[in-house]
Amino acid sequence: MSFSIPKNVLRSALVATALTALSPAISWAETTLNVAQRQDPQNLDPIDTFRLSWGSIASNVFEGLVFRGEDLQLQPGLATSWEFHDNETRIRFNLREGVAFHNGEPFNAGAVKYTFDRLLGEQGAKGPQRSNYTSIKEVVVVDDLTVDFLMERPDPVLITKLAGYGAMIVPPKYIEEVGEEAFDMKPVGTGPFAVAEYTPTVNVKLVKTNTYWNGEAKVDAVDIRFISEDATRMAELLSGGVDIALNIPKPSVETIKQNDNVDLVAVDGPTVVINRFNTSTGITTDPRVRRAIAHAIDTNAIIEAMLGGLASPISSAQGEKSFGNASDLQPYAYDPEKAKALLAEAGIAPGTEISLDFPGNMDTFREVSQVIAAYLDMVGLKLNVRPHENSVYFNDIHPNGKTGELYYFGWGGWTFDFDNTAYLLYHSGERQNPYIVDEKLDALLDAQRATYDTNVRQDALQAVATYAYDNTLDLPLYNEATLYGVNKSVEGFVPAPDDRARYFNVTLK
Amino acid sequence: MPIFRFVIQRLLQAILVTLAVTLFVAFAIRLTGDPAVMMAGDSSGVTEEDLARIREALGLNRPFFVQYFDFLKSLVTGDLGESFFRGSVRDLIAIAMPSTLLLAIASMAVSILISIPLGIHSALHKGGLSDQFIRVLSLVGLSFPNFWLGIMLVLLFSITFPIFPASGFDSWQSLILPATTIGIILTATNVRLVRTQMLETLSAQYVMVARAKGLSEWSVIYKHALRNAAISIVTFLGLQFGNLIGGLVIIELVFNWPGMGTLSVEAISQRDYPLLQATVSILAIMIVAVNLAVDLVYGLIDPRIRVA
Repeated sequence: MSFSIPKNVLRSALVATALTALSPAISWAETTLNVAQRQDPQNLDPIDTFRLSWGSIASNVFEGLVFRGEDLQLQPGLATSWEFHDNETRIRFNLREGVAFHNGEPFNAGAVKYTFDRLLGEQGAKGPQRSNYTSIKEVVVVDDLTVDFLMERPDPVLITKLAGYGAMIVPPKYIEEVGEEAFDMKPVGTGPFAVAEYTPTVNVKLVKTNTYWNGEAKVDAVDIRFISEDATRMAELLSGGVDIALNIPKPSVETIKQNDNVDLVAVDGPTVVINRFNTSTGITTDPRVRRAIAHAIDTNAIIEAMLGGLASPISSAQGEKSFGNASDLQPYAYDPEKAKALLAEAGIAPGTEISLDFPGNMDTFREVSQVIAAYLDMVGLKLNVRPHENSVYFNDIHPNGKTGELYYFGWGGWTFDFDNTAYLLYHSGERQNPYIVDEKLDALLDAQRATYDTNVRQDALQAVATYAYDNTLDLPLYNEATLYGVNKSVEGFVPAPDDRARYFNVTLK
Repeated sequence: MPIFRFVIQRLLQAILVTLAVTLFVAFAIRLTGDPAVMMAGDSSGVTEEDLARIREALGLNRPFFVQYFDFLKSLVTGDLGESFFRGSVRDLIAIAMPSTLLLAIASMAVSILISIPLGIHSALHKGGLSDQFIRVLSLVGLSFPNFWLGIMLVLLFSITFPIFPASGFDSWQSLILPATTIGIILTATNVRLVRTQMLETLSAQYVMVARAKGLSEWSVIYKHALRNAAISIVTFLGLQFGNLIGGLVIIELVFNWPGMGTLSVEAISQRDYPLLQATVSILAIMIVAVNLAVDLVYGLIDPRIRVA
C-alpha cells in the first residue's frame, strides 16, 4: 500500500518550519512582487525611525487608528470612529472589532494603550518619534474596544499623525515575549503583509496574511531589496530584475521613458525646494531686493530644463496637496525688467556680489544653483555659489545663521500639513530659522496650533503663506515629484505621494 | 635569536599600526557630524533637549577617550558592541564578512586564471604582436576606474544581453559580474608581474640546463620556470590584498553585494560610530595581518630579508 502526504499538508509543514515565529495563518509565496528601494531602514520598529524607507515597507505591515492612503484623505483605520469631548481635551476612539496581529494576538484597547505608553515612555525616548506625539498626556482604556486620549495640549495635526510612523499599533504580548531587539528585526502588526525575513543591507521579505480584516492582498509575497547605488537599481528595473523601483534618480528619467517595458509614474511629493533669504544682514534685508531676485529667476524654465518637467511651481514653501496652501497666490512672475527697476530703486549697483549656500551633495540643486547664478547675472547681481559638506551645512552654516544672502532649504513633512514646514521656517527661535523674528508670524503659527477647527487653521496657515509671499521672505522654487519606475507587467499600483508605497492591490500579469 | 627578534619586532609594529588606525578612525568619524541629528531626522519640532536626550542614550556625551577605550575593549574582547541603529555589530559583521571573503577569493581566482596564462604567453613571445597587445590591454585595464567597468559589465550582460543578474546575492550567477570586475582590475597588474617574473626565470641558468637536458618545453615552462617565478608572484598577491579590499568596497556598492564595504559605507552615511569603527578596524587588522604573514613567511624563506 502506498502512502503519500497530501501536497498542501507538506507545504504547510514546510512553511510552518520556515516561519516558526509567525502564525500558521500565512500563505506560501507563489507570486512574488520584486521591489527595489534605495535605503535599508535598518530597524523596523515604528518608534525607532523617521525614514521614508521604513514607510514604504511598514505601511504594508502596520496600521494606525487612522488610515491615510494614496489620496491623502483621513479615513477610519483600526479605529472605526472618533469624537472630541471635554472642550477638546479628550478624544474618544472606538476600535475595530475582530482584528488580530500576525501572531494571532488580538487587537484591542490594551494594545493601543501599550503602543502609546511605550512611545511616550522610556523606550520611545531613545528614538526620534516621541517628540511628534508629546501632545498626548495619557491613553486610558475605557473598555476592550474604546480608548480615550487625554491631551496635554491641543494638537490639530494629531489625527493625521495617528495615520503614520510612531503611532502604528504594536502587539504588547509579542514584544514582551521576544524583547525589543527581536521586535526591531521581526515586528508584527495588523496589516495585510507580515514580515517573513529581514536581512539587513539585503532585503525584507513580506508574505500576505489571510487573516487581514480588510481582505486579502493580491500577490502572495513582496521581496523588497535595498539597492543604494542608483545605477544598479535602475539596471535591475530595466533588466526586469525588479517589478517596481522607488527613488528614481532624475538622470535616469529619460532612460526609463524610452524603455518599452517600464513606465515612469510621477506624483507630487511632499518635498519643496526653496531659497531662503538672509533677512538680518546684507542687501537682502531690503524687501525690494528680495522681490527683485524673485522676479529675476524663471522657475518654470528651471523645472522644464533641469527637472525634466517633473516638479511643480510653488508660491510658498508647500505644494498643492498641502493643507494650508493658499491657491490664490501665483508664483512670482519672471520679469527681469521689473527686477532691474527694483534693484535700481533700492540703490543696488550693478555687479554687486551675493552668495548662495547649500549642501554639496544635492546634485540637482547644484545644477539649479548655476542657472540661478546665470539669471541673476542678467539683472546685474553676481552670485557666488557655495556648496558645503552636508553635515557642516546642516549643523553649522544653516542653524547658526552663517549663510550668505541666499541659502538652500528643502523640506517635506509626510503629514502634508503646512504647520510642519511653516512653524520651523517662520517661528522665532526654531533651529531651522536663523533670521526671522516676527511677532505676527509667531501669533498666527501659535494660534493654529491651539485649535482643532480646520477652518481657523486653514485661514491662519494661508495667512502665514500670504505674509511670507508679500514680504518675499523666501524664493519658492519647486515642489518635487515622487517618482516610481514600474514594469508594465504590474497592475494596480497607485503611486503614494508620501513614499509610503502600498502593495495590497498590486497584481502581476 | 635573530628570527625571534624579527618576529617580535614585526608583531609590535603590527599592533602599533592597528592602534593608530583605530584611533584615527574613531577620531575621523566624529568629524563627520552628529548622529543625534541624523537620528532625529526630519521629524518636526526636534528641540535641543531631544538631541541631548538621544546623545545621552547613545553615550555620546562622554569624553572622547572614554568612548575610544570602550571601543578598544569591545574590539579586544570580540564583543564589538551595539550599533546605534541596528543591534549587535558582531552579528552584522558575521553576515557581511563571509560574503566579502567569497567575493575576494572569487576575484583572486578570476585574476589568477587569466593573468598566469596570459603572462606566460606574453613572456614567451616577448616583443611579438600578442605580447604588445597584452601589454596595451593591461595598461588600459590599469587605467579603468573599477566602478565604471562594473557598470559597463552590468549594461552589457544584464540589460543588453540579460545573462547575469545586475545585483544581489541570491545565486552563483550573482557572483560572476562583481568577481569579474575586480578580477579584471587585478589582472591588469598581475599579468605584467607574471610576465616580468617569467622573463627573469626563463633566462636563468637552471632553465638553460633543463632545456639542455632535452626536457619538453611544457616541462621547462611549468615545472621549472613557473614554480620559481611563483615565489614572488604569491608574495605579491598577498601584498595586493590591501588594494583588493579597497576595490571591494566600491564594487560591493555597485553590485549591491551585502559585504563589509556596503556595511561600512552605510555606517558612514548614518554616522553609526560603533559599526564604522568596527568594520574599518577589522578590515585594517586583516590587511595588517596578511602583510605580517607575508613578511614572516618570506623572512623565514629568505634569510636576507630578516636583516632589512
